[in-house]
Amino acid sequence: MLQVKQVNKIYEGNIAYRALTDIDLTVDEGEFIGIMGPSGSGKTTLLNLIATVDSPTTGEILIDGKSIGRMGKNELAVFRRRQLGFVFQDFNLLNTLTVEENMVLPLTLDGAPVREMKEKAQRIADKLGIASIMKKRTYEISGGQSQRTAIARAMIHSPKLLLADEPTGNLDSKAAKDVLDMLMTINQEQKTTMLLVTHDAVAASYCHRVVFIKDGRFYTEIHRGDNRQGFFQKIIDTLSLLGGYGNDVPTIRIP
Amino acid sequence: MTFRQFAFRNVTRNKRLYTAYFLSSMFMVMVFFTFSIFASHPQLSADRLNSSTVVALTVSKWIIYVFSFFFVLYSMSAFLQSRKKEFGLMILQGMTTGQLRRMIFMENMLIGFSAIAGGLGLGLVFAKGILLAGENIIALNERLYFYFPLQAIVLTLVSFLLLFVLISLFISAVLRSGKLITLIKSDRQPKKEPKASLLLSLLVVVLIGISYFLSLRAEGLEAVLLLLPVVIMVTVATYLLFTQLSVYIIRRLKRQERFFWFRTNMLLFSDLSYRMKDNARTFFLVAIISTVSFCAIGSLYGFQSMLYGSLPKHNPYLFTYLAREGDSMEQAHVQLVNQQLSESGLRTEPAELELSYYPLAAGSGEMLLLVKQSQYNHIAEIMDMELIELRGGQAVAVDYGLSRNGEGMLNQPLQLQTGAVVEADRAILSPVVSVVSHYLVVPDALLSSLGNPSRADHYYAWHGPAGQKGADAAGGQLLNKLPYSEAYQFRAMDYQMDMTVKNFGPMMFVGFFVGIVFFVSAGSFLYFRLYSDLDEDKHKFKAISKLGLSEKELGRILNRQISLLFFAPIIVALVHGAVALTTLSHMFQYSLLKESALVLGLFFIIQLVYFLIVRLFYTRQVRLALRQ
Repeated sequence: MLQVKQVNKIYEGNIAYRALTDIDLTVDEGEFIGIMGPSGSGKTTLLNLIATVDSPTTGEILIDGKSIGRMGKNELAVFRRRQLGFVFQDFNLLNTLTVEENMVLPLTLDGAPVREMKEKAQRIADKLGIASIMKKRTYEISGGQSQRTAIARAMIHSPKLLLADEPTGNLDSKAAKDVLDMLMTINQEQKTTMLLVTHDAVAASYCHRVVFIKDGRFYTEIHRGDNRQGFFQKIIDTLSLLGGYGNDVPTIRIP
Repeated sequence: MTFRQFAFRNVTRNKRLYTAYFLSSMFMVMVFFTFSIFASHPQLSADRLNSSTVVALTVSKWIIYVFSFFFVLYSMSAFLQSRKKEFGLMILQGMTTGQLRRMIFMENMLIGFSAIAGGLGLGLVFAKGILLAGENIIALNERLYFYFPLQAIVLTLVSFLLLFVLISLFISAVLRSGKLITLIKSDRQPKKEPKASLLLSLLVVVLIGISYFLSLRAEGLEAVLLLLPVVIMVTVATYLLFTQLSVYIIRRLKRQERFFWFRTNMLLFSDLSYRMKDNARTFFLVAIISTVSFCAIGSLYGFQSMLYGSLPKHNPYLFTYLAREGDSMEQAHVQLVNQQLSESGLRTEPAELELSYYPLAAGSGEMLLLVKQSQYNHIAEIMDMELIELRGGQAVAVDYGLSRNGEGMLNQPLQLQTGAVVEADRAILSPVVSVVSHYLVVPDALLSSLGNPSRADHYYAWHGPAGQKGADAAGGQLLNKLPYSEAYQFRAMDYQMDMTVKNFGPMMFVGFFVGIVFFVSAGSFLYFRLYSDLDEDKHKFKAISKLGLSEKELGRILNRQISLLFFAPIIVALVHGAVALTTLSHMFQYSLLKESALVLGLFFIIQLVYFLIVRLFYTRQVRLALRQ
């Protein structure tokens, strides 16, 4: 469904900086992929490239066999509003709109009838447990509620591909668990392909497969199999090999 | 939520951002509309006498229109700049460029429509009151009846609709969305610290110094010649002051760690240096617009008090009559004036003076005007003016009005064609003879010895206290009987002053409004500048308060930050304005100290009140954010 082919990203500037080197990634329909790596490894850059927020320096990204780099401006807009959902770490809701209005924004831009928008919003809100705050403005709700709203906005148009950049980064553990459970349910029920960038091993353990990136290069990938507990342990082990976190087990032990 | 609702909510739920802009636009529409009500009032447009009023109103109406055009254009593009991230998010949600343009167009039209409706509504509500005020200010003798100003409504509606539609179309057409990633990250991208060059900073001091020096020592009509170069120099200097000198000073201060690391200084100045790039443009605009408004209102007010105060002082006669050589009706006319004066029962003291012209030896037919000391002193005595004493046959040069030609003749022997030599060793300013700009006062004996002048005019003056009952009417009647002619010149002060005031009233009325429009729009720029930093401030103070920042310290930082924004440009404008008004008062030899102080002080107080209100709301906003 998603193919990332030999993608390189170089940031020009006073000092040119190579963020991604020769990244290859193939994601099948309905897969739930985690992307992990130390800070600055290029996870978010990769996600931005796939989300059409940024464009690769060389290489190609195909979605359903179509290169997103070759889409025209309007085609791209239609692609974003119909097939793509994006969840940010800091929610990025529009603060002039209510929770409900934020949710239906992609449909509004697509010119959907109001009744259809209302129905879809209600259904999703019920599912995400935010039906009671639909009329509230964004500054009146908590972080967890904001992230649910953002997920609802990313989902309302039943996108084929849902991208999430540290969706649990700003949440407490209870809210984080709710959000992850929700993502998993959506993935299972609607067969939405998902890409999740995260620092958190617990969050990553919800995925089918975790891809590790280090210094902009593909490092390794591990599959879940049947056992989530074992998967979690494998993620922790790989992370400590990768290094980069202060609370990791150090690679050199001092007796 | 339909797309249209979406666009409308972007505006209606973002009131705080748009308040000042909306109010200023509405105010401009209202003033434009008010002027139109006047200009197209059937009584005024039918009456030929008031045509100058109608012209003044019409001209300033269109000045306001042109200004509104730039105001709206600038404000709108500034709003778009501050909403980059929002646009990025919308594009990521699948908004096409076309939809983005349509949204911006609809938003702008919503504000535009409301401003027009509000301006027209307020204008109509106050129309009667404004007509009443206008009657007094314009000094109309008739009452302006209230009429339904259909023509004015249509004109205002059409002109401002056109303005808003054109600008909205233009803004949305030239909108370049740019790369999505830069839009979304626009709020997180660190702003670059602006650089300043020492050379350009020094240039500010040089330019301001030269401009102030030139305008402060300009005398008489020199000021008019200097106007354009000084205006250009001051404008450039003001721009550089905010973009270069202020940045330079802040950077120097930052290097002084003793100062910079002292308590909350670091917060204030580091912030200031990064915001200076955005601030500079606003500061410059506000300073220039405020200067224009101070100068306009200050000089109009000054002119008015000059008219009331100086006309009687500089032309302290009720009536004057100048008979040029060859005026055959001289005796009859003087008789006529005397007769009219006694009929009207006016108390006056008549005086007479001979103006003798002698050709100079050098130059082609240039004439020197001489007046006898005894005749001059006779009139001066009647008027309670200083008498002239002449020493050793020397003459005294006398100037009247703006001319300084008499002063230019000082200390140089002037040879007449008859061979005699006259030399002035002193120059004074005096209104004793109010029909000529400069002349020499010479000893009686000298004038007698010169023989017959080549031309002799007679000057008659009737001096008396101003404002006597009937003086106005007598002046009018006499002016009718003695219309303008080559042979003589008759002036009636009370009557003429009345006419001047009548002509000046509308100017004052109109200029006052134009000045206020400018000032209000400057306030709107400041408000916008402040509020576009609100979110950033909330973030910043939230972070700092975690390090330990008391409410009092927070208040102090905010106070300094806001007062700098509000008063830095205004103080520059006040200084510019004060210099301009001083130059003006030099030009007319009339002290405008009281008037300048009043006008500038009033503006300062308005600004202070505005500052206090805005500070209250802003500080409350930041405090609320901290408690969350």
